[in-house]
Amino acid sequence: MSTTRRNLLLSGIAVGAALASSNVSVMAAGQELTLGVVGVLSGPAAQWGLALRGAVELVAAEANRDGLIKVDGAPCKVNVVAIDSKYTAEGAAAAANTLAGQGVKFIIGPIGSPELTGVKPIAKRNSMLVMGNGYAKDALSPQLPLVFHMGPGPSGWAEPIIKIAKQKFGMKSVVLVAPNDQGGTDIASVDADAYKRTGITASEEYYQRGTTNFAPIVTRIMNAKPDAVDLASSPPGDAGIIVKQLRQAGFEGPIGRLGGPGYTEISRVAGGDEVLKDFYWYEPVLIDEKVQLIADEYKKLLGAERPENNLFFQWVSAARMVTKAIAKAGTISDTAKVAEALRSLPVEDPNIGPGHWIGQDFFGINQELSFPFGVGLVEKGKLQPTIRVEAAGGK
Amino acid sequence: MQGFVATCLIGISLGAQYALLALGFTLIFGILGVVNFAHGGFYVLGGYLAYSAVTYLGMPYALAVICAALGTTLLGFLFERFVLDRVIDDHLATLMLTLGLYLMMSSGILVVFGPQSPAFAFPLTGVIHGHGFFVPIENLVVLGVCIVGILSIYGLIYYTDFGRALRALADDRAVATAQGLRPAILFPAAFALATGLAGLTGALVTPILSLAPHIGDPVLATSFLIVILGGLGSVGGATVAAFIVGMAEAFSAVYLGGSKGALALFVLVLVMLVVKPSGLFGHRVRGA
Repeated sequence: MSTTRRNLLLSGIAVGAALASSNVSVMAAGQELTLGVVGVLSGPAAQWGLALRGAVELVAAEANRDGLIKVDGAPCKVNVVAIDSKYTAEGAAAAANTLAGQGVKFIIGPIGSPELTGVKPIAKRNSMLVMGNGYAKDALSPQLPLVFHMGPGPSGWAEPIIKIAKQKFGMKSVVLVAPNDQGGTDIASVDADAYKRTGITASEEYYQRGTTNFAPIVTRIMNAKPDAVDLASSPPGDAGIIVKQLRQAGFEGPIGRLGGPGYTEISRVAGGDEVLKDFYWYEPVLIDEKVQLIADEYKKLLGAERPENNLFFQWVSAARMVTKAIAKAGTISDTAKVAEALRSLPVEDPNIGPGHWIGQDFFGINQELSFPFGVGLVEKGKLQPTIRVEAAGGK
Repeated sequence: MQGFVATCLIGISLGAQYALLALGFTLIFGILGVVNFAHGGFYVLGGYLAYSAVTYLGMPYALAVICAALGTTLLGFLFERFVLDRVIDDHLATLMLTLGLYLMMSSGILVVFGPQSPAFAFPLTGVIHGHGFFVPIENLVVLGVCIVGILSIYGLIYYTDFGRALRALADDRAVATAQGLRPAILFPAAFALATGLAGLTGALVTPILSLAPHIGDPVLATSFLIVILGGLGSVGGATVAAFIVGMAEAFSAVYLGGSKGALALFVLVLVMLVVKPSGLFGHRVRGA
């Protein structure tokens, strides 16, 4: 009996050792790079997170198809792990912590300012490279050299859009509406400054995130009698209800949304373009035939339609920059070396075109990607062709 | 004065919707002693059932609302009868089960319908404009249905044998059972009535506002706030508190703004609870 037990023990050890050695050989043969995605995948802003996740999945598929990432000459498979940040600082911090626990060194995302605020300390503690979004005034800083911005905030694009809207609709006053957290206040205040610089009187109105019925806020806006209303960074679901209730209240002026894309969902919730009437918004990428090829690529590689929100294209260009930098640095663990490679890369996307690194004036560090963008317009209830604006540069 | 009238109308409209929701929530607590964390989920499910009936089955909206209310009633009955009833006296277990049901419902809806708001519009459009105020016709219809719903619940609870039986069970379950009342039938019926109300409200309100898987969270929070303010388990308290909350929300948001308005509402509830911890119409609760 004791002999059998000893044999069993020895057999167990032998099998364990064999499995362990085979595991080691597998690891040596092909390393894996995991791109972490921290984004909002539920709630009224989920559209933005789905666009982010879809973009990173596409870029990973492209990298795997092309054998882009190599470590010591050996091809490295790219995986994606996405975690819902719930559009909150604590949700994003928890997501970043989970990724850090899994040994992930690269985070694409998050999307909003509160989330980025939650992610940054975790990323700094674990030397993670972050290619994030978030239009907060402190989104980037020289103290966080591993944090990059996938595109400019309103400081980069609000003014040119307002100039076009003013020319089209001739408004002299505007009320900006946004949630009363960093994701709302940091954008609405920068937008308000941009309106003032173009000679438009601007005031700000904030609501509690989670509000479902905006009738009281709409009454308050109507009492202020503005020429225009700007929904700033209100999530698309909220923005749609506000537009609908504003029109029901008899508001006839133009409505803007200088806070991110979401036109499709806003129009759907509001009741269509006839309800939007005169509407203008920031479109992160001008979708021409070349950009449309990204959507075709998505369908080919991932077998589905691309995510609806147009932030998808911007995230594709940002994630591609990160994978190119990893490929150039030749490491999947030394994030400082990858960051150095990223800064040295020319800003260029095969579909979207050339851009610049900006951010020195506003953030004190030149780590913000800037590509050409668009201004979306609905006039008299009819969708107009998107107007192209060249990439903000020099700052 | 015009602004005052407009704000009053918003407050009444909000109050009626909240009352219909909170009545179900407080009924379940008053009769079963269960805090139903799935209440917001039944609201969302009601919205999606009505949306599916209209969009995929081509039903007229009014019929879709009835189907949504019946669907959530049936689900509530089955859940209470076959799941909740087994642990009805274990407060922690009922809490976990209702919370679990809510997570399952919201996740299921997310998987089936996706996270984005679908196009689900109220069939009646048009707005009545007065001197300085406006009332969308859809809001008037919903207000009317809510008032009929609230009065029907009152009639059912206070003027029928079924209502008397439920009130008897709420007062003293042991004595009521000894008198021949059957909790095995009445508890699922009460739960179904409450979830049906939540489903009805969801089917009515979501086309006016928006429909998305996450919208049950604020519904649950508001229902909780109202029944605590009105007194847990009190039908009259929930109705009065719903209109107080609706009015407070409307006036504070219009005159103080969205941020300060939300703060004012919670300060009001805090003060009320300090003055009367059992809520407006609540009974004294046995201490720990």
